[in-house]
Amino acid sequence: KETFSCWWKPGPDGGLPTNYTLFYSKDSEEKIYECPDYQTSGPNSCYFDKNYTNPWTTYNITVMATNEIGSNSSDPQYVDVTSIVQPDAPVNLTVETKTSASITNLWAKWSPPPIADVRPNSHVYHYELRLKAEGMEEWETISVGVQTQYKVIRVQPGVKYVVQVRCMLDLGKWSEWSSERRIQIPKGERMISPPEKPTIIKCRSPEKETFTCWWKPASNGGYPINHTLLYSKEGEEQVYECPDYRTAGPNSCYFDKKHTSFWTIYNITVKATNEMGSNVSDPHYVDVTYIVQPDPPVNITLELKKSVNRKPYLILTWSPPPLADVRSGWLTLEYELRLKPQEGEEWETVFVGQQTQYKMFSLNPGKTYIMQIHCKPDHHGSWSEWSPEKYIQIPTEYRVKDMVVWIVVGVLSSLICLIMSWIMILKGYRMVAFILPPVPGPKITGIDKHLLQRGKSEELLSALGCHGFPPTSDCDELLVEYLEVEDSEEQQLMPSRDNATRNTKMIPKETDRDSGRGSCDSPSLLSAKCKESRALPSTLQTQHVRNVQENKAGKGSCEILCLASEQKIIPFNNENPRSSTWPPAQLPNSQPPMFAYHSTVDAHAITLGATNMNITPVSVGNEEDHQPLYPITETVHDNLENQREMEDFHSKTDQTTVQVKQNRPNDQSPFLNPRLMDYVEVHKVRQDVDPAVLLKCKENSEETEKYTVPGTSKEYTKVSTVVDHNILVLMPDSQNQQTSVSQEPAVETPQDVQQSEAEIDTSYIVTAPSEMNREDNGSDYMDPSSFIPPFK
Amino acid sequence: CVLLSPNIPAGVTSALALLWLLLCAPGNAGCRLLTVADLLDRVIRHSGRIHSLSAALYENHFAPRDNELGKPVRKCHTSGMLTPNGKEYAQKIPREELTHLILRLLQAWKEPLSHFNQHIEHHQQLPDDSLSKAKQISNMVHELKTGVEKVTEKMQSMGIISNSLNGMASSEAAGLSISNEANMMSDSDFIHCFRRDSNKVQSYLKILKCRIMPENSC
Repeated sequence: KETFSCWWKPGPDGGLPTNYTLFYSKDSEEKIYECPDYQTSGPNSCYFDKNYTNPWTTYNITVMATNEIGSNSSDPQYVDVTSIVQPDAPVNLTVETKTSASITNLWAKWSPPPIADVRPNSHVYHYELRLKAEGMEEWETISVGVQTQYKVIRVQPGVKYVVQVRCMLDLGKWSEWSSERRIQIPKGERMISPPEKPTIIKCRSPEKETFTCWWKPASNGGYPINHTLLYSKEGEEQVYECPDYRTAGPNSCYFDKKHTSFWTIYNITVKATNEMGSNVSDPHYVDVTYIVQPDPPVNITLELKKSVNRKPYLILTWSPPPLADVRSGWLTLEYELRLKPQEGEEWETVFVGQQTQYKMFSLNPGKTYIMQIHCKPDHHGSWSEWSPEKYIQIPTEYRVKDMVVWIVVGVLSSLICLIMSWIMILKGYRMVAFILPPVPGPKITGIDKHLLQRGKSEELLSALGCHGFPPTSDCDELLVEYLEVEDSEEQQLMPSRDNATRNTKMIPKETDRDSGRGSCDSPSLLSAKCKESRALPSTLQTQHVRNVQENKAGKGSCEILCLASEQKIIPFNNENPRSSTWPPAQLPNSQPPMFAYHSTVDAHAITLGATNMNITPVSVGNEEDHQPLYPITETVHDNLENQREMEDFHSKTDQTTVQVKQNRPNDQSPFLNPRLMDYVEVHKVRQDVDPAVLLKCKENSEETEKYTVPGTSKEYTKVSTVVDHNILVLMPDSQNQQTSVSQEPAVETPQDVQQSEAEIDTSYIVTAPSEMNREDNGSDYMDPSSFIPPFK
Repeated sequence: CVLLSPNIPAGVTSALALLWLLLCAPGNAGCRLLTVADLLDRVIRHSGRIHSLSAALYENHFAPRDNELGKPVRKCHTSGMLTPNGKEYAQKIPREELTHLILRLLQAWKEPLSHFNQHIEHHQQLPDDSLSKAKQISNMVHELKTGVEKVTEKMQSMGIISNSLNGMASSEAAGLSISNEANMMSDSDFIHCFRRDSNKVQSYLKILKCRIMPENSC
């Protein structure tokens, strides 16, 4: 601030030497001075020493350039000394880091610029510091003040910084920046320290001709560390350094063939050096012969071959690793392979030895195997790494023989299953019965099924305890009223039947017997056509009788003809209510007289019920030549009560009579008396017949039991009671008849006869007026069907 | 191929080797080479067994702990012998030299082994099987030496190698053998040195075999 200098820049001088002169004037003075000193500050400058320098003066400075031709002057420049003061840069800048309490700070110190003839400390400089991380673009500028040192607190560890300072005087300009100072901030909390001890990891020789050693470098906070490997050989003092740090990668040392000696022990160490010091690892002794670890085998091939018995086996071949000199025998390798199925967990290891191929048997077809090989030197060394995995799939073999066997097995087993199931179906019932025996049903003592089946009435009945059924000689005692059958207009009834003959026969017989003979010879016996009758009630009795009849088909069974009401036509004219099948009344004319009325109640007849049948047409006995003893007894009441019924009966009887008459071509004596007649038809049960029901002609004594046969448009299908053990009382039962008609007399099976046995003993038709109730049949009836278990 | 396990006395091996020699007429060219190669094979295998035995013995009982390997005390009595310490050197020296080298090595160990045999009896720490194995070593070495001698004779008779070095080797080796050095070694060093030398012998024999066969470019 006590001197100043000016510099001017010369303009184009036109090629001629130019003389420059500087003129100045102070403040507003007129006087112009010339520059006192052109040299001190260099060319094109003017130096004003302190004699000429007045800080409070404004100088007006111009420069004139003169050459031979003319001169030119610059524009005037007003200069205020104070404002142009620019000191030199500070000097002696030093930077250092100080770490205290785990905080690292950067200290910068400098000195003010030197000034020649100035008293020290007379000028007060202001300083400014700037720093940046090395490699950065931006400076961080810090205003320091008047001090010549500064502490930078925010420095990043591990970063190298560049620091500069400059200064300024009061109002002047800033000086230039001082020269740079660089400093490295140490990392972490550590201070700069020597490196740690490195360690040697391992040394390996891949082919027993060279070897490599690897070490683990020492770690240190950010400082660069240099590692060196030093070794010495057994018996020698000399220490060598690693010949090759590069070939094997970082932190390694590669010894080539020239530097590798066998059967000597190497003493190897690694030294780590940094700026603060160095550290040496522990020595590692190596005999190269025993550190051989080869590379894995190569050229692994897997080949499937078929052996003699067509089983596949695997041939594995491989080659030793390329570097290993096995051929000369210098290095001898032993191999070991391992394999497992792809899904398997454990490896199966096989030691192969020195050969380079292997045959493997007993592999599972269809599976994929993974195989690996590794090798090692024959004397002590290390196993190599496993070779890359090799996959092999064993093909599945479908032998024809196997398939055939399986097919045969399948067919046989299915056949057996079929047979078994068939057996089960057929005999299943028996099996089940065998396994789960049926609960035996109640057995009635005395009744023998087989007797029934055989159809021997006598035995059966005797077994039951009935004696003398069929009644043999009871007929005599019975009064039989003949049923007089009258002609009626209805002719169409009774279509031609085979019974007609019998009817005719019957009739005369009846008339013959009209003298009051027993009931057996009731001329009014009507025989129903059992045979023709289709719908037979399923009453046991009837069935039974029918059975009887059927059994005696050839012989002609006695049939009891129940007078059917007009409504009944058993088999023939079901539609015609009028028509009734009247079994042709057969007069027991030709029959032995003791049976006044013989008729075999045909089960059919009795139980016959056509839809409208009221009277069970007792199936007439055989159409054949057999003398029918079919006293049809119809009791005709002359009961007043039944008058009507009688009338009905009459009508019916007329019909019946007609029918009967019709049936009897010969002669039809009116069976049915319009008047009351009690008759009971007695059926003689044939001896040789299954208990045939004999309708017994009953006298009118029994009022109550008089049945107007015809009156009742009923069928005497039901056996109501059994009287005297040999009289079957037939009840008219239209309803039942109907139903019973519908029931199929599947009564061939005499199994159930047992139940109806009791009722079959005798049967007689008793027409009771009181019982001429058509509809109501239930009370007095025994509905055999109710006793008959359902036939199968 | 008759591979005798170490349990069978190796004398049988040599006997068989001799038998082979007798059976195979010298004039037969094909038989000649085959015989020598076979003999060498057997000899190599024998040496391999020796080495395995010594290595097993060393690692199980005499191995130093943790890098005491480089102790300078350890110095084998055969260290003075100049032996090729690498494959190239072994391949370069003449076959006669190699053969004699092998013989010298084997000779050098003859005496120390017998001494070792006596010494090892009193070694309490060895289990019995190791003891018996250790005792076998000297016999095996003797048989090996015999076998190598026979092969050498065979080779010389066939002109594969020359006879020039016959006399020189043995005296030197014998001298080494009975030197005090050999007897002063500790058991651990002894086994260590022996293991190394047996490996040397095995390797040299392998190289020799390769070099005998003209078709191999060893």
